[in-house]
Amino acid sequence: MSSDNIQAGLHVSGLRKTFFPGTVQEKAALNGVDFSLGAGEFGIIIGSNGAGKSTTLNAISGELPLDEGCVVVAGQDMQRRPAHLRSRHMARVFQDPMQGTAASLTIEENLAIAARRGASRGFRKGLKNVERDWFRTALEVLGLGLENRLKDRVALLSGGQRQSLTLVMATLNSPSLLLLDEHTAALDPRAAELVLNATLKAVEGQKITTLMITHNMEQAINHGDRLIMMHAGRVVLNLDHSEKAGLTANDLVARFHDVVSDRMLLNRPWNF
Amino acid sequence: MEFLTTYWNLVPVSLAQGAVYSLVALGVMIPFRLLSLPDLTSEGSFPLGGAVAAAMLASGFGVVPAIAGALLAGALAGCMTALIHLIFKVTSLLSGIIVLTMLFSVNIRVMGKPNTALFNYDTLFTKLLDADGGTPMTQFILVGAMVLTVCGVLYWLLHTELGLGLRAVGSNQIMARAQGLSSTSFVIAGLTLAGGLAALGGATMAQYQSYADVNMGVGVLVIGLAGTILGEAIWGRNTLLRQITAPVIGSICYFQFVALALSLGFRPSDLKLLTGLFVLVALGAPILREKMKSRKRNLRLIGTGNRHKRGPVPEKGRIVR
Repeated sequence: MSSDNIQAGLHVSGLRKTFFPGTVQEKAALNGVDFSLGAGEFGIIIGSNGAGKSTTLNAISGELPLDEGCVVVAGQDMQRRPAHLRSRHMARVFQDPMQGTAASLTIEENLAIAARRGASRGFRKGLKNVERDWFRTALEVLGLGLENRLKDRVALLSGGQRQSLTLVMATLNSPSLLLLDEHTAALDPRAAELVLNATLKAVEGQKITTLMITHNMEQAINHGDRLIMMHAGRVVLNLDHSEKAGLTANDLVARFHDVVSDRMLLNRPWNF
Repeated sequence: MEFLTTYWNLVPVSLAQGAVYSLVALGVMIPFRLLSLPDLTSEGSFPLGGAVAAAMLASGFGVVPAIAGALLAGALAGCMTALIHLIFKVTSLLSGIIVLTMLFSVNIRVMGKPNTALFNYDTLFTKLLDADGGTPMTQFILVGAMVLTVCGVLYWLLHTELGLGLRAVGSNQIMARAQGLSSTSFVIAGLTLAGGLAALGGATMAQYQSYADVNMGVGVLVIGLAGTILGEAIWGRNTLLRQITAPVIGSICYFQFVALALSLGFRPSDLKLLTGLFVLVALGAPILREKMKSRKRNLRLIGTGNRHKRGPVPEKGRIVR
């Protein structure tokens, strides 16, 4: 790995997290997770329920304090930084379409807040007139007509529309890292496809380093530069672009069994 | 029809009172609506504002320093509530109750006694109106101008980058953090602002009635809440302008109802009961309406006038008595 690569991208090493330590409910969610994404690389994490995918993402974003481990984004050590300070370097889209936007604010107000992600805020005007054109252009890409509804409250939008808006907010000022937590899982198939396409367009167009969680094996195979499979709080498979070329869903299912044997299937009911 | 004349005579006074209390209503609206964090501190920061202003006026300070001092003290009280809520993870309601209980003692300490009369001192009203403190109508105009200024400042503030951040935190804390907004700082800022406004109301009230009393805050939160809810019912809250002006309009209308109730022969001591009932109805009506609607919908789906008439459907293998 070149020194250039160490500066850019995402580097995660030795992530450990145990929930409810010292109680009967003790659960080791992360058992030493290591992986790296180069600058502009699009990594996709798959894995069964309870594999630690969302926990990893929450640890990277700072929503969840780690027991141990190191997260470096764009050359910056994220250790001990609270979530709102990490957001200077990373943007997030959540599984729940309601979580990414402020419902009682208008579309343009949400975008204005996103446009200032990571910047210091003061008593300047929160939304400048010149910004509206920028917002309109960013929304036009979606093809949902949201560019004509800038003054509508977000509460009036559907789940798919809200998730699309969250995506635009996340990619508005090219973050160093984009975290997508199964962001199409809660949508109906048409909206999911729309949001996924918008995601690919933004990620590839702006060359954003991206980490996406999905349950959808097709998505994991057809898209992205790196495929990471997690199980029981560990990375059990990490394929780069050339290694995952020619991979099919059947291969993956075979590899699933290869790597985790039947334990995964047996474990499933207890892994929430 | 005699009560109408009585009411008509009460109009100017009730207008002025409504204007004074609309400051508290604004202080109640901010945590309840903008932060989605119910807060009771105003019950303590309102008399705190009155006590600080009265004590300062009585010890020779001017009107402006007295009001500024009251504002600052109330802001500190609001800040305390926020810190207790955030650091000790106490619900905002309980934090407010703790703070307002402690403030009762503080208020007596501030004044040195449970109440302070201001009849012999210059107040906002004697300075700007006449030596008697003006007529109810001029008082209404003076306080009204003050309230409008406060609304204007709030409107500007909530459109700044920080104000937008505050509203985002109130709407969705997860989104706010993801967008780089420290949810804790904004909760502190919001409750500080609310405390300051409630204390400003208290300081104005003390000068308006030339009298500050440690018990002047009893029931003030529900009055503020009633004003906010009433204003929202009349005027709506779907734009920021409406959300900010609703407590003012509501508060003024609320005191018209109070005047009406008094002229109908209710005693002043009945008012807290009536106010409580009013808030209850205002809060409960939408829920009851929804329940009625879904009940009607269920009846329509079943296709009979009374679903209970059909009785339970017997299941196989189950004994039906």
